[in-house]
Amino acid sequence: MSDTLFKKILVANRGEIAVRIINACRLLKIPTLAIYSTADADAVHVRMADEAIEIGPPPPLESYLALDKIIAAAKSFHCDAIHPGYGFLAENPLFPERCEEAGITFIGPSAKAMRLMGNKVEARIKMSGAGVPVIPGMKGAGADLRTFEEAAHEAGYPVLIKAAAGGGGKGMRVVHEPEELQASVEAAMREAKNAFGDDTVYLEKYLENPRHIEFQVMADNHGNTIHLFERECSIQRRHQKIIEESPSMALTPALRAQMGQAAVRAAETAGYRNAGTVEFLVDKNGGFYFLEMNTRIQVEHPVTEMTTGSDLVVEQIRIAAGEKMSEYLFRASQRGHAIECRVYAEDAENNFFPSSGNILYYEEPVGPGIRVDSGVTGGTKVGVEYDPILAKLIVHAPTRDLAIAKMIAALGDYHILGIKTSRKFMMDVLAHPEFKAGRTYTDFIPTHMQDREVDVIPAVETAAAAAALAMMKSAKPNMTAIKATTPSPWQTIGAWEIGMRITK
Amino acid sequence: MIQQLLYQDTTLDASVEPNGNGAEVSIGDRKYIVKPLSSGKYTVELNGVRHTVCCMVRDGKVFADVEGMLLELTIPSEDGDMAGGDAGMVGEKDKIYAPMPGKIVKLLVKEGDDIAEKQPLVIVEAMKMENQVNSAANGKVKKINFQNGDQVNTDTPIIELEIAEE
Repeated sequence: MSDTLFKKILVANRGEIAVRIINACRLLKIPTLAIYSTADADAVHVRMADEAIEIGPPPPLESYLALDKIIAAAKSFHCDAIHPGYGFLAENPLFPERCEEAGITFIGPSAKAMRLMGNKVEARIKMSGAGVPVIPGMKGAGADLRTFEEAAHEAGYPVLIKAAAGGGGKGMRVVHEPEELQASVEAAMREAKNAFGDDTVYLEKYLENPRHIEFQVMADNHGNTIHLFERECSIQRRHQKIIEESPSMALTPALRAQMGQAAVRAAETAGYRNAGTVEFLVDKNGGFYFLEMNTRIQVEHPVTEMTTGSDLVVEQIRIAAGEKMSEYLFRASQRGHAIECRVYAEDAENNFFPSSGNILYYEEPVGPGIRVDSGVTGGTKVGVEYDPILAKLIVHAPTRDLAIAKMIAALGDYHILGIKTSRKFMMDVLAHPEFKAGRTYTDFIPTHMQDREVDVIPAVETAAAAAALAMMKSAKPNMTAIKATTPSPWQTIGAWEIGMRITK
Repeated sequence: MIQQLLYQDTTLDASVEPNGNGAEVSIGDRKYIVKPLSSGKYTVELNGVRHTVCCMVRDGKVFADVEGMLLELTIPSEDGDMAGGDAGMVGEKDKIYAPMPGKIVKLLVKEGDDIAEKQPLVIVEAMKMENQVNSAANGKVKKINFQNGDQVNTDTPIIELEIAEE
């Protein structure tokens, strides 16, 4: 390759996804510019990129969400493309618009497709019109209580009130009885107004115990739109996915083909380009319904990469540069089984309270079919300013049973000291008989893990036994020295107790 | 050789018998066979079942990762005091810091107030969670450096106390 696809790419993100994008750019021999807030001056993505620029203080609004600063940085460093990653500005239609004005390629869909899919009500109408099944309910936003009552009656209780601008469970209410409808609509409107500045809500049938199954789509500027099969993401905690896998246990070849076609139709109808994900809910009878389309690379994209043998970020860059997507994608099939676990900095044994501090020791699991996408390493300071995702652990094996076993072993071999992570919790989920049986529904965590109790004493004794030997030998240092850092806030706060309640 | 370790309120007495480059460690009536695996890693065998433990000793504490479970144990120092103490007890008791950078939602005391151990002093919001910070000792509020609504980081004390003599 004499000429690269782009002269330089600005990576408008942080953490593991910034590292992932930089690695893809390296394969394509494209230089990268990292951006960072002062909290991330020493972060892995900053060290890895060819160049890096500080763009502001830790609050996201002043750094990773500061569109003007990011565009200015791209110009002054002569970047001709920007990759947004996920989160932050990735799904803000102003981002591609501002890039276009500045003559910079945005690696993602058009502002128009983003806007359409960003509005849940409009997307629903458009998809329904194109023959993509949607959950029975209102065709548009509810004007008055009467329209809600009629729609609820038609769909049948229980029903779900949702915010048009919504996401993350905010402005969402399940209504079981007609008497609760008015109060729930009003509450959902208030919540939506607070969370999104828009009180538009609508109503649809509430599916009990659905599975969350999404299809990866890719579309280029040469008239090709394809799908790369499904990912099942039913294991969620507070509407956040924590474990994803492919293939899904719930899909027959016929249903898979049908849903794949619907996903392609959804992307085509939206005039979609680049990588995207069409999310569906699947009910117990194999009925599937369009939920939403995510107009970005997903956190869980490695699951698809492992099963189809693809590199989606490389393809994103090729497509954005105007190339046709790679030939191999047209022949892609699902091979074996892949599972991803998101490693969050949180204390699963203490109500998932966020954990911060310095990583004192860091060692990733290695072996055939084991992949770690990480934004941290030994010595990394983990703050509380950003999403607590540290890394993703992905395994690939010939069968689901082997993938589960490999994941449990790999989580045990993933050593992170200094901050708490949710690894043990995920091991318990994976080892649960219901998970092993493939009975994964979106209520899995509240149903099966709520009463989880961990008997720590055997582990404490095991740790004490190892420590006793370590201390006996401690005359000679037994660990790679990591430079002394300031104590974590948890160590210096004085005695305190958690009186946790979520503020509105 | 007996090595004492603390985990929360539990004291563990580990009796260590060196054996080659490893050791047999007895805790209660259980005998663990411990062998070094690689730098910082050990295998610990009990009744034929072997576990891998990653552990490091630092600042009077043991940080251990037992197959995904992260544990912190304390090594009592020779004069009987805790070398490190519990995570929440390490700081100077007369200075109250925010648990993490955040916003002061509510100060629950004012300067000059007498306070008792474990009395709630301030509520700090971080990551949309409210955290109540309690006193670690009996005493009096000497100085308050912030007001409700202020942003705080973790290096300036929110409240300074005068600790009562025991």
